[in-house]
Amino acid sequence: MEFGASLIAIFTLAGLAVWLRLGGNPVLRNKNAVSLAASEVEDGFETERVSIARGGQAALVRDPKGRIMVIKRHGNKFVGRTLTAAARCTEEVDALVVDAGDPHFGAVRLPLSDAPYWADAINRL
Amino acid sequence: MPDFSPTQYAVPLFVVAILIEMVWSRLRAPQAYEPRDTLVSLAFGLGSTVAGALFGGLSVAAVLGAYEHRLFDFGEEWWLVWWAWPLAFLIDDLKYYWVHRAGHRIRWMWAAHVNHHSSQHYNLSTALRQTWTGHFTFGLLFALPLVLLGFHPVMIGIVGGFNLIYQFWIHTEAIDKMPRWFEAIMNTPSHHRVHHATNPRYLDKNYAGVFIIWDKIFGTFEPERDDEVIRYGIVKQLGTFNLLYCVFHEWIGMLADIWRSPWKHKLSYLLREPGWTHDGSRDTSGMIRARWIERTKQSAKSQSKPVAKRNPIAPPQEAA
Repeated sequence: MEFGASLIAIFTLAGLAVWLRLGGNPVLRNKNAVSLAASEVEDGFETERVSIARGGQAALVRDPKGRIMVIKRHGNKFVGRTLTAAARCTEEVDALVVDAGDPHFGAVRLPLSDAPYWADAINRL
Repeated sequence: MPDFSPTQYAVPLFVVAILIEMVWSRLRAPQAYEPRDTLVSLAFGLGSTVAGALFGGLSVAAVLGAYEHRLFDFGEEWWLVWWAWPLAFLIDDLKYYWVHRAGHRIRWMWAAHVNHHSSQHYNLSTALRQTWTGHFTFGLLFALPLVLLGFHPVMIGIVGGFNLIYQFWIHTEAIDKMPRWFEAIMNTPSHHRVHHATNPRYLDKNYAGVFIIWDKIFGTFEPERDDEVIRYGIVKQLGTFNLLYCVFHEWIGMLADIWRSPWKHKLSYLLREPGWTHDGSRDTSGMIRARWIERTKQSAKSQSKPVAKRNPIAPPQEAA
């Protein structure tokens, strides 16, 4: 009884958050926004080359040491992974799909104009 | 003997307070909430009460057993000893500080406590993001001194409940700073925002429950700065709203590390700080902070040079 009431309260509150349109849909608009997101993933991560996926939902970043980070939107925040040799990527017609090797993080689909560059860089990690 | 659970009575207040904060969020900061994150946080809260009902009996039996060996006796009607209540509250809060500190510095304890930190948001629903697996750590040992001093386990449970209720309201961005005297003594939204931050400056700081004085005494206090935006969560953000993975991810990671590591390092993966590895392949909070200090020192050094040296337009010895 108590459990059921709590469950109803939980879904009501979460539903209310949707109804009030809380959250928002942030996008990565420019290099500064990506640099900020990258430094949140790893403090001090320097962005040398940045490619933002069309729509601003994800990005790929390379630092001066050649390390590559994939960033994606998660809820109304951004999360990322610095890629290792375990990372895999596949090229689609208009996008790159990056798998950071973390099944719970999931594969990230990035519609990019310079997908071949990143595919090559990731495969060389 | 009093039969009273303060947290049970507080639940309706929690719900109303979350509703009020959501309205504040709608008007002032819509990004403070994210519906799926809220759902996960609240499900954590419900799950933790179920876990408490399932496994709490073992803990109660253990402390009642220890109570039989108490050094002092407050008498059969111990609940009528009025001064024992505030004293128990104070000592329990000191206990909370240390169990909480252990929760951040010992991976076995962190495996349970990380749940409370895994949201990238900081709102009242985050306060209810409580662990399901605390009964599988040795946190209970920290309560033993209180029990052996003669405080009845029920009294400890009640003051502990009030401690948790106090901590609910400090999980908010809606309140900036409290009056100076209050900030000096009590744990506040400002102090606790620091605790939930992943900024290197703030890592492993402000463990207090109710009284911030413990952090000041034991050297872990860090004030919130106005010039630094706080980012919340954990160093390696989960990037998923999968509830079961959110609950068990650190247990899975820790057990996998223990399984894979050489024998002589297995215990270290259980008892050393989160992020520690025998091959240095991951970062501890200390390593992240040290790197940040080094980086900011270098940056400050370059900023302190005269402009002509930072940005020379003429060779040395010549006028710039």
